[in-house]
Amino acid sequence: MGNGEAFFGTLYGNIPAELALYIHIPFCEARCSYCAFNTYVGQRARVPAYVRALQAEMRLAAEALPRVPVSSVYFGGGTPSLLAVDELGALLETCADAFVLIPDVEITLEANPERLSPRDFRAWRALGFNRVSLGMQSAREDELRLFRRTHTLADVRAAVEAARAAGIPSLNLDLIYGVPRQTPAAWRESVQAALALAPDHLSLYSLGVEEKTLLHKQIARGRVPPPDPDLAADMYELAEELLARAGYRHYEISNWARDGHACRHNVHVWRNRPYLGLGAGAHGNVAGARYANLRRPSDYIARVAAVAAGDARSTLLAAPAAEEIAALTPADVYAETVILGLRLTEEGIAPCAFAARFGRDLWTLYGAQLRRLLAWGLLEQSDKGRLRLTPRGRLLANRVFVEFV
Amino acid sequence: MDQSHIRNFCIIAHIDHGKSTLADRMLQLTGTISERDMQAQVLDDMELERERGVTIKASAVRMQYTAADGETYEMNLIDTPGHVDFAYEVSRALQACEGAVLVVDATQGIEAQTLANLYMALEHDLELVAVVNKIDLPAAQPDEVAQEIEDLIGLDAADVLQVSAKTGENVPQVLEAIVRRIPPPKGDRAAPTRALIFDSHYDSYKGVIAYVRVFDGVIRRTDTLRMMSTDTELEPVEIGIFNPHMQPTDSLSAGEVGYIATGLKTVRECRVGDTVTLAEGGAPEPLPGYKQAKPMVFAGFYPADNDDYDALRDALEKLQLNDASLVFEPETSQALNFGFRVGFLGLFHMEIIQERLEREYGLDLVATSPSVEYQVVLRNGDVIVITSPADLPDESEIAEIREPWMFIEIFSPEEYIGAIMELVTGRRGEYVSMEYLDAKRVLLKYRIPLAELIVDFYDRLKSVTRGYASLDYHFDSYRPERLVKLDVLVNKQPVDALAMIVHEDEAYRKGQKLVSRLKRLIPRQLFEVPIQAAVGKRVISRANVKALRKDVLAKCYGGDVTRKKKLLEKQKKGKKRLKMIGNVEVPQEAFMAVLRLNDDD
Ligand SMILES: Nc1nc2c(ncn2[C@@H]2O[C@H](COP(=O)(O)OP(=O)(O)OP(=O)(O)O)[C@@H](O)[C@H]2O)c(=O)[nH]1
Ligand code: SF4
Ligand SMILES: [Mg+2]
Repeated sequence: MGNGEAFFGTLYGNIPAELALYIHIPFCEARCSYCAFNTYVGQRARVPAYVRALQAEMRLAAEALPRVPVSSVYFGGGTPSLLAVDELGALLETCADAFVLIPDVEITLEANPERLSPRDFRAWRALGFNRVSLGMQSAREDELRLFRRTHTLADVRAAVEAARAAGIPSLNLDLIYGVPRQTPAAWRESVQAALALAPDHLSLYSLGVEEKTLLHKQIARGRVPPPDPDLAADMYELAEELLARAGYRHYEISNWARDGHACRHNVHVWRNRPYLGLGAGAHGNVAGARYANLRRPSDYIARVAAVAAGDARSTLLAAPAAEEIAALTPADVYAETVILGLRLTEEGIAPCAFAARFGRDLWTLYGAQLRRLLAWGLLEQSDKGRLRLTPRGRLLANRVFVEFV
Repeated sequence: MDQSHIRNFCIIAHIDHGKSTLADRMLQLTGTISERDMQAQVLDDMELERERGVTIKASAVRMQYTAADGETYEMNLIDTPGHVDFAYEVSRALQACEGAVLVVDATQGIEAQTLANLYMALEHDLELVAVVNKIDLPAAQPDEVAQEIEDLIGLDAADVLQVSAKTGENVPQVLEAIVRRIPPPKGDRAAPTRALIFDSHYDSYKGVIAYVRVFDGVIRRTDTLRMMSTDTELEPVEIGIFNPHMQPTDSLSAGEVGYIATGLKTVRECRVGDTVTLAEGGAPEPLPGYKQAKPMVFAGFYPADNDDYDALRDALEKLQLNDASLVFEPETSQALNFGFRVGFLGLFHMEIIQERLEREYGLDLVATSPSVEYQVVLRNGDVIVITSPADLPDESEIAEIREPWMFIEIFSPEEYIGAIMELVTGRRGEYVSMEYLDAKRVLLKYRIPLAELIVDFYDRLKSVTRGYASLDYHFDSYRPERLVKLDVLVNKQPVDALAMIVHEDEAYRKGQKLVSRLKRLIPRQLFEVPIQAAVGKRVISRANVKALRKDVLAKCYGGDVTRKKKLLEKQKKGKKRLKMIGNVEVPQEAFMAVLRLNDDD
């Protein structure tokens, strides 16, 4: 630990020499009404070529990077569970081949709780997946219908049971609050239904109405009422209370976990450490730059093939399929470290850790902002000057972050 | 050119009746503009004019026309704007001419500014050539409109020309009529030189360009000139004519229209309405100048960014060269810091100036709601004049407040009489008279407080009459009224830039509307913000902007930090556009909220 400089250069400061991998699977069965993610439906036929492109991209990226240990691999989407077992297996194999995976590497699979059989979970477990994140979203049929989700609460229960039976060691459930027409009682119902399944981890997301989504249109046309932000705040506070009582730790603005079950991959990202984003539209931060890959699977596949054949080249060698590349300045890295770090509600940002990492004094850099935020009651200072969001600051996190951009 | 072969005329009409289009055809027929350079309303060369399809500023141009009598004439044409706010531009153009072409739309008939501009032309003793335009349209009623002109204006219907400025039909007859009916100028070329500055604009190379009509004598390029009101002497950088662009000449003689590039950098030494003479052997008496235009509407203009104060002053000075009716003086506001109180001829004028400042000078402005000029009689007998509600003295010092009333004339089809009546009386207006212009059209006359007129009255009139009514107004008198100052308090602090003067009977209703509108416009802050409307110490309306509780981003997949940062940057930019009042962030639109108080929300 502590020798990351040798691997990543001085820009990231003094950090452990570890890399995280994010692998994007941009395919879904159907589009959810709120979804603005980079995902496509009806492209099952493209999956084999896409998997091959991912394998090629991994190799190209690995060649461009020092052989850094990889501490987590995260398959996100889209719907990674749409991939066949052998496709996932091939990807993990290439991964282990191209990179150095640490022995207890965390490998997460996002899965939609529809048409999943106990056999799937057993196969994933056998491949090495040790964390599964299930998109439960709600326990209520009316909300699932509004979301255009294709599963039921019963599907979720069956999936959780199967995961447990297969010995998946860490299980997450996603829920969404602040939904149009959702009452606090309805929200309580969803939270309690999730708690009854005893997950190791819970992610609670506030519904965002993004442009170009079906939900956005429905709201614009007046067919669905817009979400009420005050009610959403009430629901957040209700969840904080219920989950605390059930023994979950609130370790990030939207994430709760039982002891030892915080998502290592996401914590790595929130600590502003380098990670590779692989796949169409994936984002990464390595070699002193943030980048975003080409979004359309067809473009992505063609680009990776061209680079692999030596017909094209990215200016950022570790990101052969990058469409946008933004080099980071030290000031960017400091600000991003603070913004991301404050998301970690327990850990926050400790000035001594910041100084140890960058050799810079946090208060010299951001004294004015920090004083303002403390005065507004959005930040608080605890043991040895550690800075954290207050309960109110968690709900007003943007007001905090905007001070640092 | 000897004066008998010169004709100076302007084109006047109600808005949109086709003045600029008629000018296009004349420029084409006389070969002043080549087919290649021709475009619709070619004289409307300002970006805003082209975009909105209206003439904002009068423009002068010289044409050479060979008439049926075989002689070649020098024709100086001035195209004028039709909008009521720019009547002052028209009046100045008229003074440079011996005649006017009065255009009337054959589908609309005589409208409010047709008469208003006609009366101005008659006041200046101009010879008139009446033209019915747009005869190509199926709905045209040229004979009826010609008859209307005879009935209302007293010109012989038989002399009214029927044309289409669009197709060019009968436009040659208009040029002939100008030559035959409009008298040539009668200046004395031997007399001491006198030229009237009837307009100006600023050119960054040549300084202030003065548009002049020479009445007596001659101006040569080599002459040293003197501005008679300021005694400023100058050697012109250039003199010339508009053809249609600036074209240098060696001299301008009595009867001619042209320009003098003065090289001057500010408007102070070269005022529109001033007389130019020669430094040596100059004229003893200036020409009758212009009455300074009287601004009707006043608003505070503040730079959104305080650092732009000097840039704003500079831009206003430049615009003033272009627009002699614009007046301004520095003003300070607790809420908005340093800016200017700017006077306008009307709301459209204000809108145009604001847009030009933003576009042509790249300024980001906060404009306060428009106000009129009040006369305040104090208890000690003094009378003060205020143009900003913030300047109103304390109630206890005031004996009486007088507000300007206008006399308005509305032309409309008779079926809208009821709707117009309702609109006017709902705004404290009083009925004067009604007359039928013909079987279907009426002329309604009212008196109404100017303050009621400037708040979207014209838009409402257009909407209740489906666009058929037209409106003209002029100052009537100051009247004492039961007026009070409506204060607005944001987070318990009075905000000077939001105060307004209202009729006592309206205070409650307006206070409530203003508060509810501000409640919607002011974004939620980290703390609760009370908004109150008060008259004196009495709070008449209140509402609270609840404290913001939640502002978090929804899930972004895959560590898309860039997108999150972009969203935060956008949020930060948005915040920068907000004005801080105490510790409350108020958006710029809030300061104009009063303008829309009459809308039914
Ligand atoms: N059909 C038809 N349309 C015309 C004719 N003359 C003008 N127009 C149209 O009427 C509209 C107004 O014409 P303008 O020449 O801009 O009118 P204006 O009197 O200069 O307007 P302002 O300067 O804004 O007062 C334009 O859309 C012209 O194309 C005509 O003879 N026939
Ligand atoms: S499953 Fe997830 S990625 Fe796919 S459409 Fe639904 S929300 Fe979007
Ligand atoms: Mg015009």
